[in-house]
Amino acid sequence: MTKQYALYFDSSSCTGCKACQIACKDKNNLEVGVLWRRVYSVTGGDWVSTGNAWTSQAFAYELSISCNHCQDPLCVHVCPTTAMHKRDDGIVLVDASKCIGCKYCEWVCPYGAPQYDPSKGKMTKCNLCEDYLAEGGNPACVDACVMRALDFGELSELQAKYGTVDNIFPLPLGSTTQPALVITPHKDARRTQYESAKITNMEEI
Amino acid sequence: MSVHAWPLIAFTILAQMSVGMFVVLGIVHYFVVNKYSIAEADQMSSYALLAIGPALVLGLLASLIHLGTPYIAFLAVTNLATSWLSWEILLGVLFAILGGIFAIMQWRKIGSFALRNVVAWLAAIDGIGLVYVMSRIYRQPTIPSWNTTLTTISFYTTALLLGVVGVGAAFVAGYAYLKRQNPDCTQELCMVLQQTMRGISISAIVLLGVEFVVFPVYLSYLANSSATAAIAASMTGIFSPIFVTRLALAFLGAGLLAVYLYRTSLSAERVQVMGYVSYAVFGLVLISEVLGRFLFYASYISIGV
Repeated sequence: MTKQYALYFDSSSCTGCKACQIACKDKNNLEVGVLWRRVYSVTGGDWVSTGNAWTSQAFAYELSISCNHCQDPLCVHVCPTTAMHKRDDGIVLVDASKCIGCKYCEWVCPYGAPQYDPSKGKMTKCNLCEDYLAEGGNPACVDACVMRALDFGELSELQAKYGTVDNIFPLPLGSTTQPALVITPHKDARRTQYESAKITNMEEI
Repeated sequence: MSVHAWPLIAFTILAQMSVGMFVVLGIVHYFVVNKYSIAEADQMSSYALLAIGPALVLGLLASLIHLGTPYIAFLAVTNLATSWLSWEILLGVLFAILGGIFAIMQWRKIGSFALRNVVAWLAAIDGIGLVYVMSRIYRQPTIPSWNTTLTTISFYTTALLLGVVGVGAAFVAGYAYLKRQNPDCTQELCMVLQQTMRGISISAIVLLGVEFVVFPVYLSYLANSSATAAIAASMTGIFSPIFVTRLALAFLGAGLLAVYLYRTSLSAERVQVMGYVSYAVFGLVLISEVLGRFLFYASYISIGV
């Protein structure tokens, strides 16, 4: 089997502190507005009237997502210049020298991974901290997580360790692009299937 | 989306109009050659041909504004294996080149009639392919609001409708120019113009009919899926002023005024009025299609975040 690096995220233990997001910005020196890793705050449910009382049945959980380095990456397929490419180890990268900044990858990616940098006129994205990996280290986000909610490794190994869930609300079904992502869902994530839920921090993303 | 889409609106509308005009011009030319003579046909079509090139080049230039790094835009043709966008640029540039070669051959009468015909056919086939490829760019599994054959159908309808009314306006402009140059030459040409305009007004009405079938089908397509219901709601909600204006202008231009255009084309005394009406039809349809394309980009929605 070919190599496929992947990320793991434990939604049940994430507090939404965004240390991962900031570590990523710091490590990669990202411009304001460019987020290679994004933390989505999801809320749903409501106050329910029972007898004379109102009881809160609201729920909330966090979802930290970068690029999932998909096994079938649509961004790579649609890129008109092959700037967006998938390496042998599974990492999806942008070759800046080829990128014309057409933003087509940004349109088609259902994870918001390609992040356009207007100051460069180029698309940028998570590179899994490939330089750290080369030295035997972890991606900056993984090491920064105070809750140990992030992990990194070979996809098959992560799946053996944590299961095969690769989507919870608001992520799409994994069948479209085969994301190299493993999630431990928050206990209330399944409630989004039959209750209304939304991302409440859109202005941060 | 909104603001960032303007270069793409300009590019797709202008490119599709160019293809439509080229194809429609070819059809009109064929009929005029059969009914009158090559001389008449060439006189009229050479001016219309003049309008197509700049429109296409302007569109291609507008597409560059969309890019972050336009000076390496030529690299956009390097992923023909999997990217429809590469095909769009290839066929778009090829259409400009073939159309340009044909226009020069036609004006300077270079090569035989048959050879020019071959070049025109190649350009037309390229153009028809270009519109298809353009539509495929947007039909992506992660963008449910665009991922439908209706995208392809509406792109072709736009191309043909703008092509039809564009050729009408170009013919009127060409005729006015010829008349100023040589007042005697107008008798036969006037008949050609009138007859062409009849065909154009009927075609415009038919294409309007197609659009008015496509709109409700597309809206119900959007409304019937939970992934796109929000977009359907925005078309009848926040975007409804634009949506209604777009429909009204299309109906006014390609409907009511097209009927009037047909009527004015029946009498030689009303050629002047017919000319103004033809410009008005073109203007209204163009604005309507631009608004329609704006709404198309505004209807973007991802299956994810």
